[in-house]
Amino acid sequence: MRKEILQVTGLDKSFGGLHATRNLDFELFEGDLNAIIGPNGAGKSTFFNLLTGYHRPDSGTILFDGVDITNRPPHEITRIGISRAFQVSNIFTKMTVFENVRSAVQAQMGMAFNLFGNAAKVGNDRTEHLLSLCGLSDKSTHIAGALSQGDKKKLELTLALAGKPKLLLLDEPTAGMSLEETRETMGLVDRLNEKYNLTILFTEHNLSVVFNHARNITLLHHGEIIIQGTPDQVRSNETAQNIYFGEHH
Amino acid sequence: MPVETKPVALSDEGEKSTHLAAPHARVGLSGPVIAVLALFSLVVPLLPGEYPTIVGVEILILSLFAGSFNLIYGYMGQMSFGQGAFFGLGAYATALLCRWCQAGSTDIGYPQFFLALLLAIPVSALGALVVGFFLVRLTGIYFSILSLAFGELLFYIVFSWYGFTGGDDGIQGIYPPALLRDPHYYYYFTLAIVAAATFLIWRITRSPFGFTLRMLRDNQRRTAFVGVNIRRAMLLNFVLAGTFAGIAGALWGPFQRSVSPSLLGWMQSGTPVFMTLMGGADFFAGPLVGSLIYTSLNAYVTRFTVFWPLTIGTIILIIVLFFPGGILSIIDGRLARNRGSRGA
Repeated sequence: MRKEILQVTGLDKSFGGLHATRNLDFELFEGDLNAIIGPNGAGKSTFFNLLTGYHRPDSGTILFDGVDITNRPPHEITRIGISRAFQVSNIFTKMTVFENVRSAVQAQMGMAFNLFGNAAKVGNDRTEHLLSLCGLSDKSTHIAGALSQGDKKKLELTLALAGKPKLLLLDEPTAGMSLEETRETMGLVDRLNEKYNLTILFTEHNLSVVFNHARNITLLHHGEIIIQGTPDQVRSNETAQNIYFGEHH
Repeated sequence: MPVETKPVALSDEGEKSTHLAAPHARVGLSGPVIAVLALFSLVVPLLPGEYPTIVGVEILILSLFAGSFNLIYGYMGQMSFGQGAFFGLGAYATALLCRWCQAGSTDIGYPQFFLALLLAIPVSALGALVVGFFLVRLTGIYFSILSLAFGELLFYIVFSWYGFTGGDDGIQGIYPPALLRDPHYYYYFTLAIVAAATFLIWRITRSPFGFTLRMLRDNQRRTAFVGVNIRRAMLLNFVLAGTFAGIAGALWGPFQRSVSPSLLGWMQSGTPVFMTLMGGADFFAGPLVGSLIYTSLNAYVTRFTVFWPLTIGTIILIIVLFFPGGILSIIDGRLARNRGSRGA
């Protein structure tokens, strides 16, 4: 029996009159590689924002690894073990790629408030390891803001991994990427899941990416779960076809 | 919310420079220049006349003041228009204790004097803690405006509290102990303290916390999402910056023999902004170089003309329009080009 890592019950969030998520129940087990799909405005981003403390739910609870993280701020949730890569990369633009990752590694080590250590001497090994894992080693001296879009997304993923997450949330990890970059990135996602047994939940508009990589898919629509199941189950579901795939095919 | 930053050049030339260290990692002055400046700072009191020494003391004090400001601006990415408040709080803390120790005379013992200087540390730190508690909830223009508002608030308290602060008369007749009344000795005394404080700031900027500040400058949202409590980090930095400004202020009063409420005012708060922009906020030495130029110009230009504000205004205009990275960015750009052409 695999260990349950995330348990969401009755999650509700409205913005004004808009019901972004509606009484949502959701769970993840350790080692899962699952996807959330749905049309624009289905509540995918809101769901991620609620999981990571960026928004506070109106009601409902979020249990992560046995800890109630409902209403905790993002930095605490990150420290507890949920990391997030954003759709639009959030990187430290004026620093070098190496400094980006090293600073995130030092934050993970609990050194963010260390005043008199020498930053250049801490966390270098892990930084190099992460950079080579994500294929950024040869860019380590580049200023992050000058990277290509694809490399910025890679760095975004590296920063999320620097937090030593137990659960990794990826918001449109391949958006804006070339075919080659998409293949590379999803290859890395598979490897992280298989080799490091990292639990991963991602949203994605590219359905071939979703069906090729996710083991379990949740379809959201108007903040509600329409169907949850294996790629085959979701693909053959009639409601799913009407709501979502119709728009794409 | 992602913080907008100046775009990094993507041209071929820019590509070259991306392989160099990030700008903030640079001190902004090469080794030999630092050595010459350090040596020069030691012999300033040997120059003929007292005037260069007096100007030298002001350069040192204001460079520490500007350096404290740049912890907030260059490293953390927020513009404070209220840093003068903590300079002033430090100055008043020292001045008030000095006056109390002098008890009507002009004499003060060394222990009492040093104690009065030390008092500036907790007072300015506490002031920055209270102000910072509100400020760190905001960023960008809101941070700037609120810092200005708090600065003016503290100015007004000092300005109107006659019974305690002397109101707009300020406090006159603050004397350092015997030996330090000689500007030459006071210069070396100031040099020692400013050098030590600047070294501390330098260590902070190279520490993991220093990089936490850069993370805050570049992207607040990502900083939170790598697990940093961003408000607490901003508050700690604000208190550190306020404390260093307070130390600078503490040195100011006994040297000028007086303090006045204007030390907390918005004109005073503008000084480190000017200096840092002149020198270059991306460089550790930027505020120092800015203070050197600004204060010397102020000291010598005012001898020839009463149009000092016009002069400094024109200089600032030229720098902001044509050299937005400050004077050190010009030197740095030249160095980078040389390195580039040698490498090619």
